Amino acid sequence: MSALGKAEAEAILFREALLLDSGDYDAWLALYTPDCLFWMPAWRDDGTQTEDPDRELSLIYYRGRRNLEDRIARIRSGMSVASVVMPRVAHMIGNVLVGSADNGEVPVDSSFVVNVHDVRTNRSHAYFGRYEHGFRLENGEWKISRKIIRLMNDVVPTMLDVYGI
Amino acid sequence: MTKAFVLRDLVDDRPKDGVFRVNRAIFRDPDLFELEMKHIFEGGWVFVGLATQAENPHDYFTSFVGRVPIVVSRDGEGVLNCFVNACPHKGVRLVHKVCGNARRHVCPYHSWTFDSGGINRNIKWKKSGCYAPAFDEESHDLAPVARFGEYRGFLFASLNPDVPSLDDFLGETRKLLDLVVDKSPEGVVELVPGRVTFTYAANWKMQLENCSDQYHFTSTHPSYIRILDQRAREKAEEVVQATLGAADFWQEDAAGITGGTMSFEHGHVLNWGVMPVSSAQPDFERADQLAQAHGVAKRNWMFNMRNLTIFPNLQVAENASSQMRVIRPLAANLTEMQTWCIAPRGESPEARALRIRQYEDFFNPTGMATPDDTVCYEEAQLGMAEQERPWLQGHARGLTASVPGGNDYSDMIDLKPARSVLADAQLCDESLFGSYYRAWAARMAEVLA
Repeated sequence: MSALGKAEAEAILFREALLLDSGDYDAWLALYTPDCLFWMPAWRDDGTQTEDPDRELSLIYYRGRRNLEDRIARIRSGMSVASVVMPRVAHMIGNVLVGSADNGEVPVDSSFVVNVHDVRTNRSHAYFGRYEHGFRLENGEWKISRKIIRLMNDVVPTMLDVYGI
Repeated sequence: MTKAFVLRDLVDDRPKDGVFRVNRAIFRDPDLFELEMKHIFEGGWVFVGLATQAENPHDYFTSFVGRVPIVVSRDGEGVLNCFVNACPHKGVRLVHKVCGNARRHVCPYHSWTFDSGGINRNIKWKKSGCYAPAFDEESHDLAPVARFGEYRGFLFASLNPDVPSLDDFLGETRKLLDLVVDKSPEGVVELVPGRVTFTYAANWKMQLENCSDQYHFTSTHPSYIRILDQRAREKAEEVVQATLGAADFWQEDAAGITGGTMSFEHGHVLNWGVMPVSSAQPDFERADQLAQAHGVAKRNWMFNMRNLTIFPNLQVAENASSQMRVIRPLAANLTEMQTWCIAPRGESPEARALRIRQYEDFFNPTGMATPDDTVCYEEAQLGMAEQERPWLQGHARGLTASVPGGNDYSDMIDLKPARSVLADAQLCDESLFGSYYRAWAARMAEVLA
């Protein structure tokens, strides 16, 4: 299999960020493999996060892109009052580290800050933490097979959706 | 106090005239908020946590009663106590972690030391301290809360000693807590690890009402309902099966009695809906055993949708999954919600995983339903600024359907509410909120004109 260089890994991360920032959700969904893991663990106590999603609670836990498609359908439905006036978001990603491939999946760790401006209430909030992506080559293209979001400031003001993390 | 409030200007309760109205001011006024904190949250029983949060000797967890920090600690003998989480010396918060295990708690400021039973074990350099004899006449132990009690693992505390016994306070709702606890083969309800906390910029009573508000479901959550419909059609394997998708009590064309509401003494309420004993619920694996152990009627009630509020801060919602919510008011227009997935101890790993997936799907500030609720609370808070027409119209629906006592459904489990409403899918009683505001008024009566 092909190696994934740091520049290439960054290009995918930055593209994902751009697609979320610009609200191009179809292209965003297309970055993911059909069987992808999309997981934002909760915090168990002051210092440790939940680790076993079947025995412990997560903020978000999806296996399968279909679940992300449901999320996007809800956002676009016009029937979700939390999604009618869309917050504006800007992702900043840094500290990118590319690991070695395991079973065809290349792990890519990074740090994120997502600034979210809630237009409805004129409030801004910065969410920050670490991403643990996994990339897999499918038909010659790198796809996201895993995105783990380790959210550090997990006391959420009102709401947080997939575009804000 | 800069203003004198008159109770009848805030809660207009005239049953003979068919009127029950609540003034918007009680959702927005900072002075009323101070009184609520003192006389409701710091003046009576409030929920503090589950016994399983401090299960072993020397386990502890921290929380708040009103604005006062508390620590619930199990001592070496296994006895649970609840203390004000502040060192008697300088008032410094003693325990900073949300939970843990410690035989000794040492104050970080001057090293006064307490054991897990709250007893002072050391005052640093006491002998050299030249204290006057009067100092020794004071207790240097952690201050216990005035009242502390447990009902089947649910822990409650009161900073005010002058309150009814916990059994009297909970009254008939103990039978509703039994429905939660008795689902467990071990008779223990536990928290699924993983705490989720969020805030919303609105009054705490918006959450209080929303939990027992059947009227909002199809209006606030159509985006979620549409996804349920789509999933039911497509039967995709990778999405979780929804409990609400297997029930029709909320659908406008559902026939007959679909549920209703009950009000209890001291401000507690239940709203409920008929849900089938189906494999969409994680408890289905034990449906037969539950019927054998508790009878079919009680088993069926365990499968019904039930939203229980123990006034003023505990809500146990068994609908899309099983959720425990603790309401912590921070300001008239700011509320913190602590939420957990609760589960019967001893269920199978498969049932637990299903419960958790259903929970994340619907609840959480990152889920597909809760954000649509909290945004509505915030929009309501904006509307509370209206002063020309101060009376809200959200507490009148169902008034003529409300009867004293229970009905055939409550009789099935020997439940005796103070009032009840039996409803079809479209009645969606709002008169049960009156129970909240009557309890509110009772607590506030001594301080309002």
